[in-house]
Amino acid sequence: MSAEKGFHRHGSNSYIAEFAESEREVLLNLIEQLIELLSERVDHGHEDPLAAMVGIASHDSPPEDEVLRRLLPNAYADEVDASEFRRYTESTLRGKKQAHAMSMRMYLKSADDGIVDLDHDNANAWLGALNDIRLALGVRINVQENTSEVLELLSPDDPLRGVYAVYTWLGWLQESLLSALMDE
Amino acid sequence: MMVKTTTNIEEEIKAIFSDNTPWVTIVWDDPVNLMTYVTYVLMELFGYSREKAHELMMKVHTEGKAVVSTGSREEMEHDVARLHEYGLWATLQRGDQAL
Repeated sequence: MSAEKGFHRHGSNSYIAEFAESEREVLLNLIEQLIELLSERVDHGHEDPLAAMVGIASHDSPPEDEVLRRLLPNAYADEVDASEFRRYTESTLRGKKQAHAMSMRMYLKSADDGIVDLDHDNANAWLGALNDIRLALGVRINVQENTSEVLELLSPDDPLRGVYAVYTWLGWLQESLLSALMDE
Repeated sequence: MMVKTTTNIEEEIKAIFSDNTPWVTIVWDDPVNLMTYVTYVLMELFGYSREKAHELMMKVHTEGKAVVSTGSREEMEHDVARLHEYGLWATLQRGDQAL
């Protein structure tokens, strides 16, 4: 990854970043994967079409996939309460996360010059989507508090190194957007 | 007198049936979420000052968890859903249960 400047604030409601073509491609690739992941486990054989229409799922168990389980976590420690809550809310949560991701994809796709200019609401959508990507990668590479030290010990040709580099870069990008937003 | 007595009984019955125990929303520590991000989300979602949000984030970070809001069960379900939308690891429970 090239050392770009990340996001900067311009005026009261404008957060701008300029991405190299390679960075834009990496981000688009990740966001497509996130959108795809979030659309999994949709109820195809729903017994009650009306329930499906208002977002009530026939399933209420947590996702089997570890990444989805982190993106769509239980709201209660108690399993019965967690299932009940999930049945009525999971598809809404999934939709909101997809909306964040799609906003990010839309900006990236139209940024032919690499320049992305976000207002406050879209900056929040980007933060949510960037965070979901980091959560997903974090599960895959098993990020713990001391992961940076562990990864320093990996051999130079370990494929996890590449993933970790992307993960670190995304954290840096997210941090730059946060400081632009919190810069008063 | 009669009216007053009836009112008292009604209030007693109401108190028996309505459970006023507050519920709490808890945010749990997570190795992925950036400290700045957790602070920012708490400011955005709950309208907390930067100082209060930072304090809560530090509590999550150092103690592993923190109560970030208190209210009715419905309100806490709403808060948890919004925190999940932004990727924070949150749960709700009755306020009189051990954390």
